[in-house]
Amino acid sequence: MSKPTDLVQGTLDLLILRVVALEPVHGWAIAQRIRQMSNEQLRVGQSALYPALHKLEQQGWIEAEWAPSENNRRAKYYRLTKAGRKALKAEAAQWERLSAAISLVMKPA
Amino acid sequence: MRWTRKLRLRVRSVIRSNRVEQELDEELRYHRDHLIEDYIAAGMPAEDARRAALREMGGIEQQKEYCRDVRGVALLDSLGKDAKYALRALRKSPGFSAVAILSLALGIGANTTIFTFVNAVLLRPLPYPSSDRLVILREQPRGSEGTVSVHPVNFVEWRARSRSFEALALVQTPPLNVMGSNGAEQIARIQTTSELFRVFGVGRMLGREFTEEETRPGSDNVVILGHGFWQRWFGGDPGVLGRRLAVPDGSLTIIGVAPRGLRIGLTEPDAYTPLSINSANPGAIGSRSFECYGRMKPGVSLDTVRAEMTVIASALERQYPLDKGMGVFVSGLHGYIVREGRPALRLLMAVVATVLIIACVNLAGLLTARGIARRGEFAVRSSLGASRSRLVRQLVIESLVLSSFGGAAGLAVAYVATRILVSLTAGALTVGTTQPIRLDAICLFFTLAVSTVTALAFGLAPAWQASRVDPQMALRERTRGASADRRQHRLRSMLVVTEVALAVVLLVGAGLLLRTFSSLVRVNLGFQPADTITMGLFLLRPPEARIALVDQILERVEAVPGVTAASTTQFLPLSGMNCATGFWLEGQTSGGDGQPAGDADCLLVSRGYFDVLRIPVLEGRAFDGRDRMDTSPVVMVNASFARRYFPDGRTLGRRIRVHSAKEPLAEIIGIVGDVRHNQLTSEPVPTVFQLHAQRPGYIMSLIVRTAGDASTQAAAIRHAIQEVDRTQAVSGVKTVEQYLGDALSRPRLYAALVTCFAVIAATLAAIGLYGLIAYVVTQRTHEIGIRLALGAARGKVFLDLFGHGARLVIAGLVVGVVAAVGLRGVASTLLFGVTPVDPLTYLMAAAVFSAVAFAAVMIPARRASLVEPITALRYE
Repeated sequence: MSKPTDLVQGTLDLLILRVVALEPVHGWAIAQRIRQMSNEQLRVGQSALYPALHKLEQQGWIEAEWAPSENNRRAKYYRLTKAGRKALKAEAAQWERLSAAISLVMKPA
Repeated sequence: MRWTRKLRLRVRSVIRSNRVEQELDEELRYHRDHLIEDYIAAGMPAEDARRAALREMGGIEQQKEYCRDVRGVALLDSLGKDAKYALRALRKSPGFSAVAILSLALGIGANTTIFTFVNAVLLRPLPYPSSDRLVILREQPRGSEGTVSVHPVNFVEWRARSRSFEALALVQTPPLNVMGSNGAEQIARIQTTSELFRVFGVGRMLGREFTEEETRPGSDNVVILGHGFWQRWFGGDPGVLGRRLAVPDGSLTIIGVAPRGLRIGLTEPDAYTPLSINSANPGAIGSRSFECYGRMKPGVSLDTVRAEMTVIASALERQYPLDKGMGVFVSGLHGYIVREGRPALRLLMAVVATVLIIACVNLAGLLTARGIARRGEFAVRSSLGASRSRLVRQLVIESLVLSSFGGAAGLAVAYVATRILVSLTAGALTVGTTQPIRLDAICLFFTLAVSTVTALAFGLAPAWQASRVDPQMALRERTRGASADRRQHRLRSMLVVTEVALAVVLLVGAGLLLRTFSSLVRVNLGFQPADTITMGLFLLRPPEARIALVDQILERVEAVPGVTAASTTQFLPLSGMNCATGFWLEGQTSGGDGQPAGDADCLLVSRGYFDVLRIPVLEGRAFDGRDRMDTSPVVMVNASFARRYFPDGRTLGRRIRVHSAKEPLAEIIGIVGDVRHNQLTSEPVPTVFQLHAQRPGYIMSLIVRTAGDASTQAAAIRHAIQEVDRTQAVSGVKTVEQYLGDALSRPRLYAALVTCFAVIAATLAAIGLYGLIAYVVTQRTHEIGIRLALGAARGKVFLDLFGHGARLVIAGLVVGVVAAVGLRGVASTLLFGVTPVDPLTYLMAAAVFSAVAFAAVMIPARRASLVEPITALRYE
């Protein structure tokens, strides 16, 4: 299966962690939230989202729990773990450094 | 905490994979439903919404696959799948699986069985602490391979001069007569110097060891009981210390009990008594008839000890005349004990390894054929994206599954075979081990290792071959004529020829061992073993009284109804014991230490010995009542002695001195026929017979000829002896035929085992031949159909195929015979009465195998010739 080409995989992880950090949330809502928070710029398809979610779960940065959702159906809610919180901080800092560096390079001479 | 959670997740993914799959399904479905709802909320009609959602979601299966990949348990998962697939594939071809598993079971089972013996005899260390430091010391005449027992003078000197030993002990094992409630009983006893228990590292024991004091003459009437004897005789009573053990001429104070199961060398003694050496005259207790055991100091190596003892031996040679020409032999105790069994066990391991190789070669051939047949399947899988390593892995797992089943079945075979062998061999294979032979953890591990190695050995190459698929080529229906095929066929043919050669080598070996056994059974013993019974006697009377005792015993025993004749002898024939001596001729310088005129074996017998064993008296007369202590000394000799030393034929009347130049002259009064006394396989040795009535010894065996079955008379004979002397015990009641049986037991065992393995090997090779020719027939069915339809004779078709197979058989026979000739040195020590290149045996082996092999080739060839052209042509 081909990986999503619009977003680097690592960045998607960062976005997911950021969203999940706010409150426990299920997959669909994560995609929605990312769209909202990015002003409709970033649309994450489920083909990228769910593999990323499962990977993060395997790594132990998020943990999942089944609970009834707003429309009274069962949904899998994800929540940040302690390790995930630390990872989020680290990844965010990394992202800051990276984007600052890119901006520096791209500045008109 | 985190990693446990991670682990739990992964484990859950594997074990509850269904659950996990369901949850993933549900999660994705939820997402899709939400998507549909959104579209509907945005105004799309329901149907369109559904379709749009599905389009966007893409293939759910692919999502799941990707998620599964991420879950990171793909490897375990796919291995599990491979195993399941392998099981299914094996179930689908039951014929192949049965043959494969059976071949493996036989091959692995045989190896495990023999390994069980090898483990118990050769590999397991002796059951003493730091047993690698235990050594045995013996005396070795310079230039000779053999060793002799130790002289006490040398022991005293070794103990004084050597710096390498923590402890050194001298032992002798004369039986002990003890007084019980039913009269005298003879028990196994070790007479030892004080350090024996230190040599063998004995730990806590009831009571104590001997002190140095107690090994001096006069204070030596103490005894340490063996554990088994303590249980039997005293009921395991711990208050036995200080009590007395009654012996015919007094009693011994019990000062200790040995730990349970302690064996010295190979025997578990019933009692230990001190061996008192008079330091002023050590030789007083006997000459070269003792064993010496030692424990090396930690850090001292065997080579160091050998070097030191060589120096000491040279010094002793200069100091003592009796040590002239004698060196010292030092060996690790374990190696010394197993020295007899070792070559045979090694040979057997080689034989069973060969059987296993044949089985594996067969399987490799079968798997190659299967691989070709499954080419279509592999092509499909390859075009679906399976990598080559994935295909190879699949096939290797199939091999592993096969060999696991084969290994498990082999274990069962080995278990049964081990039990049978142990009960049949009764020591023939196990000489030198005191521990029970059974399948233990090491043998299981061995089986596992062998199974895995065989799976990789016969599975890897065919797997590599089979996975080389060009999907285009393979998807075509007919696959003949490709050069890769021809190459594989050549490889397989070579493998089959190798199998045949190996099987022929084993058959030749089996034939040689069978002929050895039959030669041994028919060998001319020189005496009549049937209807004779023996028992050991240990006389405690002073020398003069012994003669009277023996006379009385012989008289009473001969009066027992059913007894024809009775006599005594120092050593029984085929018991493995004898005594060698020198003799001096009449003209030689008497006194001094002139060299003896010759060597001979000597045997101390009572009158009537030659009668009992029906040994013919060729010239002169046998010992009789005329010869007593006060008449002139007489001896008899055997024909070999007369031939060797008196070739002019005038032996009778000559006089010789036996044992030492100071002995009085004894007249040779008779010549008897040669007897194979020592071993079945050794030629008769010149022997001098002396009369007990003139040289009363105290250790002997009573040997009795009966009218009917000898073993039924045992009780009556014992009774007769006890009537003469209530305190006289007997031991070791056995018929001469039993001794003969013991001597034959090893050759019989080797012949049986190797024949069995050779038959298995030949069967496997025949199966391999059959498989190859049958495969060729299947590949060429189409072509054969065409030929038959075009008018070829069926006979020609048959001959063609038969010829193909026959060529392989003949090639294998030639290679096998050459190899067998090349290996002729390997087992020559086990052969008797037949040379390693005996033509008759080779011929028989070749004939037997050819019969089987040609039958195996004929069956598929005949099937080919019976092919119906129409069916063949229709067969696509």
